[in-house]
Amino acid sequence: MQKNLNIYRLRYMLILIHFLIVLIFSPLLLGIIGKTKAFFAGRWGAPLLQPYYDIFKLFSKGNVYSVTTTWIFQAAPLLSFVCILVSCLVLPFGGIHAPCFFWGDVLLFAGLYTLARFVMVIAALDTGSSFEGMGAAREATFSCLAECCLFLNFIVLALLSKKLILSQMVGGDLSVSWWTDGPALILVGGSYFMVLLTENARIPVDDPQTHLELTMIHEARVLDHSGWDFAFILYGSAIKLFVLGGLLVDVLLPLDHQPVLIQMGEFFVGMVILAMGIGCVESSMARLRLNRIPQLLTGSFILALVGFLVVLIRGV
Amino acid sequence: MNFLFCSLTVLVMSILLICLSVRFKNICNALFLGSLIVASVLGLMAVFHVLISPVVEDLYLNIRMPLGEFYIGMDALSAFFLSAIIILFLISGIYGYGYLKTTEAKNLGFHYALYQFAFMAMMLVVVARNGILFLMAWEMVTLSSYFLITLHDERPEVTRAGHLFLLATHIAGFCLWLMFLIMASHSGSMNFDQMAACPFTPFLAGIIFILGLIGFGVKAGFIPLHIWLPHAHPAAPSHVSAVLSAVMIKIGIYGLMRVFCLVRDFPHWCAILLLLIGMISGVCGVLYALGQHEIKKLLAYHSIENIGIITLGLGIGLWGQIEHNSVIALIGYAGALLHVFNHAVFKGLLFLSAGSLIRSTHIGEIDRLGGLLKYLPWTGHLFLIGSLSICGLPLFNGFISEWLIFRGLFEGMFHLPMTGIILSSMGVIALVLMGGLAAACFAKAFGVMFLGNSRSIDNSLIKESPMSMCLPMAVLGVICVWIGFFPRSMVMFAFHAASVICSRPIPPEMGNVILSPLLMVIMILWVVVIITAILVFLKKKAMKVLPIQEGPTWGCGYSYMTGRMQYTASSFAESLLRVFRPVLGFKVSGVKPEGYFPKEAEVSSHVVEASEVFLFRPVFEFIKFLSGKLKRIQCGYTQLYLLYIFVFLLALLIWKMV
Repeated sequence: MQKNLNIYRLRYMLILIHFLIVLIFSPLLLGIIGKTKAFFAGRWGAPLLQPYYDIFKLFSKGNVYSVTTTWIFQAAPLLSFVCILVSCLVLPFGGIHAPCFFWGDVLLFAGLYTLARFVMVIAALDTGSSFEGMGAAREATFSCLAECCLFLNFIVLALLSKKLILSQMVGGDLSVSWWTDGPALILVGGSYFMVLLTENARIPVDDPQTHLELTMIHEARVLDHSGWDFAFILYGSAIKLFVLGGLLVDVLLPLDHQPVLIQMGEFFVGMVILAMGIGCVESSMARLRLNRIPQLLTGSFILALVGFLVVLIRGV
Repeated sequence: MNFLFCSLTVLVMSILLICLSVRFKNICNALFLGSLIVASVLGLMAVFHVLISPVVEDLYLNIRMPLGEFYIGMDALSAFFLSAIIILFLISGIYGYGYLKTTEAKNLGFHYALYQFAFMAMMLVVVARNGILFLMAWEMVTLSSYFLITLHDERPEVTRAGHLFLLATHIAGFCLWLMFLIMASHSGSMNFDQMAACPFTPFLAGIIFILGLIGFGVKAGFIPLHIWLPHAHPAAPSHVSAVLSAVMIKIGIYGLMRVFCLVRDFPHWCAILLLLIGMISGVCGVLYALGQHEIKKLLAYHSIENIGIITLGLGIGLWGQIEHNSVIALIGYAGALLHVFNHAVFKGLLFLSAGSLIRSTHIGEIDRLGGLLKYLPWTGHLFLIGSLSICGLPLFNGFISEWLIFRGLFEGMFHLPMTGIILSSMGVIALVLMGGLAAACFAKAFGVMFLGNSRSIDNSLIKESPMSMCLPMAVLGVICVWIGFFPRSMVMFAFHAASVICSRPIPPEMGNVILSPLLMVIMILWVVVIITAILVFLKKKAMKVLPIQEGPTWGCGYSYMTGRMQYTASSFAESLLRVFRPVLGFKVSGVKPEGYFPKEAEVSSHVVEASEVFLFRPVFEFIKFLSGKLKRIQCGYTQLYLLYIFVFLLALLIWKMV
């Protein structure tokens, strides 16, 4: 009985540690991306900790609500924030194991993101503004396509690892087979990187810096949010970048059979490199036209499909 | 079993009594409600009895019927479908009473009697253990549904939808007769237990499969056999469409499952075909739904999508059964079964709330509504619960059954040979695509109808429906959330029913394979709920201190916004439909305004129903052409017809003698 209790206590501790890592480090990635872009533009740029200041400032502000809106508009940012935060529970961060792992957790991981997106889309429609409707429609369109690519990536990973547990599909045993499964993993990594850019509203899919309504996807949905709600949205998108980026780093870095501290160090270095990579892509490319984005995602799908074929031909 | 028999007897009595007292409205109403509740309670007791006692009970009455016996039985599979049928009929019946109370429809008593008749017939279909009894009950369901659909037969489109339904289901009925006759001639009896004992050759099993697929598929609404479905559902009154969509099309699925119980030696291509049909029905169903702007038509197409999801589970289950892998078979079938129940609940809820909406506003077109959540709080929130469930989002019941079907497909990927891996991967991708498109579609439907501002009518005149309609809907909403958070009992029930289909016991490791992961899912969902509650509390506290302002929605610099300027359902769906235009016929008619001083112009766009236009219309035209030729022998003289009969008998006699 005592032992059982201790296991439970340990699990709660693990969950708390996971939440703390995500909450503390996620805005830093945005800061790094900003610095990288400033470096390419030849500027000094905003301080590395600017995203923290922004979120803190928003939490101390009051809200403005449109009279058109209902409770959905006020609840959606909060709920989507919680869904994104909780999704990190099934993902390992380098040496830190996932506190929850079970057969089929991948599906819950994806399901939580879908729920977060759904509530944000209906919250955008709640304002009755046509710009936000436009953003919601585009979001629904592109995420629907991106999710197919994401699942094809999951299928390849599941076939490689013969498991349906996210924390064992990425990292773990996979690193042993990195030398044999290299081609498939690289293809999956490439495909997943495009999904990552789409899901997190980065260039070339969407530009988080502009506020020109007609070109936007994610930003257009949140025009009417303010104060705490907007803080939740901003923080949520930072966490989303951290969690989905962490998944990519887990897939690409062979981390097994090393002391935990070194694994963690490698993971965080990997995250920093990823953020700088996103910054490089954003500085060197322009945004794609909206009707080009499905083609980009088709490209991502085809990459994953080639990976799938490679796995099948190699023999399962 | 006795409970069930009592329940059927109560229904028969009530039908007779209602028909006798059809002139007295109050007696009719009381009889209808009373007998409905009594019969449902008795039926549910029968279901519970099966759940607690594992012994299978059969009832064999020595009532002489042409070609067979009155032979009914209950096992977990029948009980599972019975529970869905009873819950839906009970709730829709009470709702229908509230719905029809104020309308001055003619022959309301007969409508109630027919409703009871359909109820009884559907119960009889799932407990029948004899081919002839099954087919008779099947025919009773078809006929009573036809009369239920055509309640408002003064409208021409209702009559047309009714005829289409009758035509399609009778073609299907023909295939079913053939199928049962083949099975009976091979096994020597129309009774199911003897059919199950008899082995079939793979060739014969293949023929039975094709006939069953067409026969049951028309009722279930597989694409391309679905053409009656999107016409019949909007034409029927809402409580009837709820029953039709929630349980009537599911007895097609029940039929397929029962055939899988009886015939075991299916070849591999049957499972492949089922998976392909599931993918096509699912993806095309939801794409067509996205292109619809009439709420009940949209929901009707979503029924096709969900039938596709169920068929995916069924297909992977059948594959597991063929490969003798009982884990895949059980998970696949159980996922399909649980989705049958879940779809019955949330689709019933959606149709009932759509009916309540139409009753209050007299408008079914999504693009003309808006901002109704404040004026129809019950209907709106229950519609939201239904939408969240149908999209398979976590916290609601749709997620649990889709999770099971996903699990089945992934198991197939790990344990099946190469073709199995490819098809299950395709199934997973199709299921994900369906989920994404369904989420877009319901965000569109809910967002445009209930959020924002009104687009055409004055919302302040709109009144919420009476409690006799809201409470039944609320019960369905509670079931959606209940299965979302406490799925254990229903999942176990589904597994018992699944073990009947593949006639294998549930292996003891199933608890580890399914229930403990499910427990973890629920735990994480509780984490979501708890953190949400804490944050809501904190936010409430902070909002007391921080300043809150109210104002109009920001118009991006434009200050004369009207309701008509909002994003509509058509514009919301356009960006997705544009992506899928190559696979979806998309017809735009009219001209755009041109020039510097444009004149009035009109543009309309709609999605072309491919199987109706390209498949069925030519076939029906050909049949019409043939029957035109045959008209020559049909000239209206009774003497001539007698001559035909005589010639036919003579031919039979000669054939027999030779």
